[in-house]
Amino acid sequence: MNPKPYSNPYLVGVLLGVTLLASYLILGAGLGASAAIARVGALCESIVAPAHTLASQYFGAYGDQPLRYYLVFMLAGVFGGGLLSALLADRCAIRVERGARCSSLKRLCLALFGGLIVGFASRLANGCTSGQALSGSALLLTGSLLFLVSVFAGGYLTAWFVRRQWYD
Amino acid sequence: MINTFFNSGTLDSAGAFFASLLIGLAFGVALERAGFSSSRRLAGIFYFRDMAVLKVMFTAVIVAMLGLSYAKAFGWVTTENVYFLHTLYAAQILGGLIFGAGFVMGGWCPGTAAVGVASGKIDALIFLLGAVGGSILYNELYPMVAPLTAADRGVVFGFESLGVSEAGFAFVFTLIAVGCFWGAEAIEKMRNGVEGYWNSRFLKVFSALLVVGAFGLFVVQTRPVPVQSPATQEQALLTGMQEGVDHIEVQELADRLLGGDPALVLVDIRTPAEFGTFHIRTALNLQAADLPAALVPHKNQGVIVLYSNGMTHPAQARDSLARLGFNNVYQLTDGLQGFLDTCLKPISLRDEPVSPVQAAKIRAWRAFFLSTPPPVTVPTTPSAQEAASLTPEVEAEWLAQNFSRPDVKRIDLRPQQDYNGGHVPGAISLNIESLRGCINGIHSMLLPATILAEHFSLMGIRPEDTVVAIWDDKQQDATLVGMACERLGHRRFAVLRGGFAKWQREKRPVDTLLPVVTPSHYPVPEKPDSFTVGAKEVLAAMGKTGIVILDVRPVDFFTGKKRDEARGGHIPGAINRPYTDDMEKGAGFTALKSATDLSAIYGKLIPSKESPVILHCRTGHQASQTYFVLTRLLGYTNIRWYDAGWTEWAARPELPVASESR
Repeated sequence: MNPKPYSNPYLVGVLLGVTLLASYLILGAGLGASAAIARVGALCESIVAPAHTLASQYFGAYGDQPLRYYLVFMLAGVFGGGLLSALLADRCAIRVERGARCSSLKRLCLALFGGLIVGFASRLANGCTSGQALSGSALLLTGSLLFLVSVFAGGYLTAWFVRRQWYD
Repeated sequence: MINTFFNSGTLDSAGAFFASLLIGLAFGVALERAGFSSSRRLAGIFYFRDMAVLKVMFTAVIVAMLGLSYAKAFGWVTTENVYFLHTLYAAQILGGLIFGAGFVMGGWCPGTAAVGVASGKIDALIFLLGAVGGSILYNELYPMVAPLTAADRGVVFGFESLGVSEAGFAFVFTLIAVGCFWGAEAIEKMRNGVEGYWNSRFLKVFSALLVVGAFGLFVVQTRPVPVQSPATQEQALLTGMQEGVDHIEVQELADRLLGGDPALVLVDIRTPAEFGTFHIRTALNLQAADLPAALVPHKNQGVIVLYSNGMTHPAQARDSLARLGFNNVYQLTDGLQGFLDTCLKPISLRDEPVSPVQAAKIRAWRAFFLSTPPPVTVPTTPSAQEAASLTPEVEAEWLAQNFSRPDVKRIDLRPQQDYNGGHVPGAISLNIESLRGCINGIHSMLLPATILAEHFSLMGIRPEDTVVAIWDDKQQDATLVGMACERLGHRRFAVLRGGFAKWQREKRPVDTLLPVVTPSHYPVPEKPDSFTVGAKEVLAAMGKTGIVILDVRPVDFFTGKKRDEARGGHIPGAINRPYTDDMEKGAGFTALKSATDLSAIYGKLIPSKESPVILHCRTGHQASQTYFVLTRLLGYTNIRWYDAGWTEWAARPELPVASESR
């Protein structure tokens, strides 16, 4: 079955904006995704080295139950919402998305390395595209707007070097 | 203000988790519908192939920004009920640059990768594993990178950084977004040869709606401050006079006061003697010459209403204030006499017939304006307390229930050996004297914000934490921690009711373990606090009508019968209310009197909740308790603290002293 076409990007943007607004008015905080990943990281590290993790300066502040955090539940919701929407639009298929001249291995290596960098950078900037670029910019916060601009600057500077993984 | 989970400190409750899950669901659906479960589509923006990321992201930012700006303008959203991310230039710029590189390499960002995994993308799963690894790497390298996150600027808005108006910034931001949408459509049309939404009716209407929405912010955010030449200004005054726009009718005033309108400032400009005989409830008493200085805090904010017996003096004062740039001053039509005749005259004495509706109104007005102010009601049940935002005085029960919360920082102010013998679990020991020092030759002064922030950082306190002070036999130790919080702009502060004595008496848990503390980077406020005053301000306030100087020392020190400083006595014109009189004995402990009692007492000493008051004692310590009572428990809004107090005043011979017993 052919997947259904994507929705009107502007209307989806309105839905996303209203969701963000609801998050601020109900929770008192914006959307976020990378914090949940960091907390999974803290959990993983505490399984391997519990005493070291609790004593570490950064993860130590999460306490001994790092997953008891609202953004962890939010990311679980994102996964659920994504699955629901993808199933309804017939867009579920197990595969590696890549350009014709890029091997799966190369694409996965880049994904792993990119993930590593993004995980690190999100902690440094205290948020990712969701928490800083989207939520912070909507409040017109100086730091978040600078983050948004920096993300695009970093992206455009790097894009030429990895163009082969999607486009030929 | 909306009571959010953040505001009530319950972001870690099951309710907040459930709400987060639902918000996440909507977030996930939006990302998937946008096509962000495809890394090729996400990366497309960096090759000018597929500009969906820009369209969706920028639309979402603008829609939420408009919504939030209106919510802020209407007072629904403040820094108290919403968590505003802090600005840290180095961390956010460097983090952003690295993030961008990782984004284009990996093809995902954290949120979209979760949606990618949901739609079966193996590369998204690998990306997330990498991001988990990156987070662990950050934790391990944290001691090295922490300096990058040290310069915390606090909450900074883009329009502040550029020094422009909020509405102007939002409007230009919206115009840039709309320009980007049209640019993105043009790029896609050129690159892919697809018409898309370029020049479509949809995009035209959509763009127009956003621009109109942003334009509306000018209406709700900016208060008009016309810059006019003297001639046109006078013309405007005369026209206003002719049309009566500078008047407020007595019935309207009565209804607004009855409804407790917080935006209304009522000023009685008659003599203090007349004011003392009778005045309209809630009115301030100011003399005409003092009006411009005293009303500065209300300039063009809310509504200022002037009244006297007749209308001549208020009208002259109003016009004078208007020339000084006050656009929100009104005079009461027919003055006090009109108010008495229209609103308060008993129905039985009226010549004209009174309708039942009007009679009910008059009865309500008479009941309100001819009685003494009602006591402030405080919630008494724990559930009511939890529902409201943090109460300034927390019960031992509340603290016992909130042990597991890492954001509730307990500070034990008892002597160190007592602390070592057993303390509230997780409490940090603090000697209150470490928050004070010698400044400009005056000892026992609360330290500057930079040093206080350093102390807070060492105690691991973060701006979003709730600080609970546990006191030994002096509650003013706890309230002095409160002053430190005030100086740092830290509003989430509470005193443990009854101190450690009540905790112990209720046989609550204690332990002897040292708490685990992770140092924080407490931001230093950019501006000095606005509540601390020096001898100069006190001298200027001395003898001014409407400004109360409240000395909280014991009576004998106030009268000069006893003295422990260079001179005995008090500041001329000051009134005395010993801080100890605000306390009462409970079963085995002492605690503050009820807010109802305190409200009645201070209602007699201070004309209104907005009246300017300067508090002092000998060293600022005891006055901190009265500051806490007035600002936090009773809601007084214009309280100043003369920290140097009698120590300085007595030692400077040029400052006048009164020493007769009163």
